[in-house]
Amino acid sequence: MGSEGSSGPVVVPRNFRLLEELERGEKGIGDGTVSYGMDDADDIFMRSWTGTIIGPPNTVHEGRIYQLKLFCDTDYPDKPPTVRFQTRINMTCVNQETGLVEPSLFPMLGKWEREHTMEDILTSLKREMSTPQNRRLYQPHEGNEDQRVEQKGVSLRCVIM
Amino acid sequence: MGGGDADAGGEPAAAQATLHIRCTNGSKFAVRADLGATVGTFKAIVADSCDVPAPQQRLIYKGRILKDEQTLASYGVETDHTIHMVRGAAPPPASTAPAANQEPTTAAPASSPAAGLGGLLQNLGATGAAANSGGLGLFGSGLPELDHMQQQLAENPNLMREIMNMPLMQNLMNSPELIRSIIMNNPQMRELIDRNPDLAHVLNDPSIMRQTFEAVRNPELMREMMRNTDRAMSNIESSPEGFNMLRRMYETVQEPFLNATTMGSEGDRNSNPFAALLGNQGSNQARDSAANGTTTASDTTSGAPAPNTNPLPNPWGPNAGSAQGAARSPPATNTRSTTAGGPGGLGSADFGSTLGASGGGSDATFLTQVLQNPTMMQMMQNIMSNPQSMNQLLNMNPNVRNMMESNTQMREMIQNPEFIRQLTSPETLQQLISFQQSLMSQLGQQQTGQERTQSASGAGNVNLNTLMNMFSGLGAGGGLGVPNAPNVPPEELYATQLAQLQEMGFFDTQENIRALAATAGNVHAAVERLLGNMGQ
Repeated sequence: MGSEGSSGPVVVPRNFRLLEELERGEKGIGDGTVSYGMDDADDIFMRSWTGTIIGPPNTVHEGRIYQLKLFCDTDYPDKPPTVRFQTRINMTCVNQETGLVEPSLFPMLGKWEREHTMEDILTSLKREMSTPQNRRLYQPHEGNEDQRVEQKGVSLRCVIM
Repeated sequence: MGGGDADAGGEPAAAQATLHIRCTNGSKFAVRADLGATVGTFKAIVADSCDVPAPQQRLIYKGRILKDEQTLASYGVETDHTIHMVRGAAPPPASTAPAANQEPTTAAPASSPAAGLGGLLQNLGATGAAANSGGLGLFGSGLPELDHMQQQLAENPNLMREIMNMPLMQNLMNSPELIRSIIMNNPQMRELIDRNPDLAHVLNDPSIMRQTFEAVRNPELMREMMRNTDRAMSNIESSPEGFNMLRRMYETVQEPFLNATTMGSEGDRNSNPFAALLGNQGSNQARDSAANGTTTASDTTSGAPAPNTNPLPNPWGPNAGSAQGAARSPPATNTRSTTAGGPGGLGSADFGSTLGASGGGSDATFLTQVLQNPTMMQMMQNIMSNPQSMNQLLNMNPNVRNMMESNTQMREMIQNPEFIRQLTSPETLQQLISFQQSLMSQLGQQQTGQERTQSASGAGNVNLNTLMNMFSGLGAGGGLGVPNAPNVPPEELYATQLAQLQEMGFFDTQENIRALAATAGNVHAAVERLLGNMGQ
């Protein structure tokens, strides 16, 4: 009866949307070279997520597994999540110091739309790895997950010592 | 939400579940497994269903890489869920590696500290090259990468003690004056100490210096000191004024300290003697700061760190390390080639970059200064007076070893202390440097027009290997010229270059030969060519 009045698109609430994404992540629907899931099953706000990107073939990233942290704040999906690489990577849109994906340099985050998902972000980053400016960039050697050692901290210790 | 955690301890976890495995090539298959089983066991089950052996499997579920010792249930895996599989390299056998590493050090007698040090240098050079660091290993950039050093010292904890017990280091420890003079020779450090008198007290206090050296010698003590420092820092940081104090300390002491030891002052890179050691890194930092606009120390702390929008240079390129687009162009001597096999396998010790290929720049004088440094002279004297360490140095590089085996007179000459003294005299070194420069310019003139356009200075990528190849003909009665062998098949002619390309990951031999033939055996140009073909 009242259906004629609502002409705009249906806005899916945040939690429903995230539950849908969680299920897609668990079932492995979509692109087989990216994977994502929730960090803490007890977090009712479903904010912290982990993603992995398997490096695309015929690039320097081939055979590498890149781990990322995605943080979906309470305003997701109206606002994009914060995306940070845990594994060291040399990419034009990634801050070398912090591993943060810069929205100003990564169009999907810069021009965010509500319909975009975390899977879209990961596949878009994977596509970005294959672009001419990134496919041959010299990469730090593997085995340094969670080793973003702050050079400042190290040398400050030396000065104090 | 995942639902798996609730089941982890109960009966359902023990039930068989159907799990879908998805490979990177798009293929998908299902396996049945017990959710209470470990990932290691599960990998064995998966290995039965596909051609990837368990040690090479890397399983990913919900963005997490599954660890062998954990159970599937602990990751929240449930029936009908999908696990991604990537084929990785087989992990190296953990038990054999340390034994292999320790063997040479145990074989070296305790009376010969230089032997252990030589081993360290050789290993560091090797890791620098092997770890894909693109010329940023120990001798590529002048200073070791932190993780390589830590790895080496972790594998051989006695090494640091051995180094610290060397007579040379003992002399250093007993002469704080010498350490102070070394530090004060750096203008930036001098300025820093002028601004912070507290640091001068530290330098003037021999007990503090001795304590620092003692900590370096004893890893346990070092760890304890670091732990105490961390605790102290966290305590200081917790109070607001303490945090401000740390920030001030960072701005006034530590940031300038970093600058003093890693890059030149704004105007002139040559004003900092340590900058020459860092080679490309200094210029790259300068480039980044020019591009990103973060120049002062306070900027870097107050604002968020600006992203590095500049892609790193192609490590195989002819001008690998030169900072294109820098505010001030670095000297031509900064270009480094990444060919492995400098002295003693020390990665990219390029002759041109070491001695100043174009016009004998500041690097040549820097080298002379280093060699005339009393500490350095004493160290060289120690090594050269010890025939065992001398032999080890000579045997490090296969080219030198072959040369020595084919020239017994040369071995005798090198073991003659009088000859060594003459060879290391400043006059001889100066003559050698000038000879090397003229040789470089001649070799540069022989290059084809195409190669000349590739290398800005015209000196080309002539590294130690080229010179070694030239001199290796001496034993066989050949002249100094590069042997001209037109009838030799390309597989033999370019054997060393082909081996290098294989190591770099170019496995198509015919394609490699074509590229080498087109570039007259220039590995760097061949790599550029091969990469160009790959990109098309």
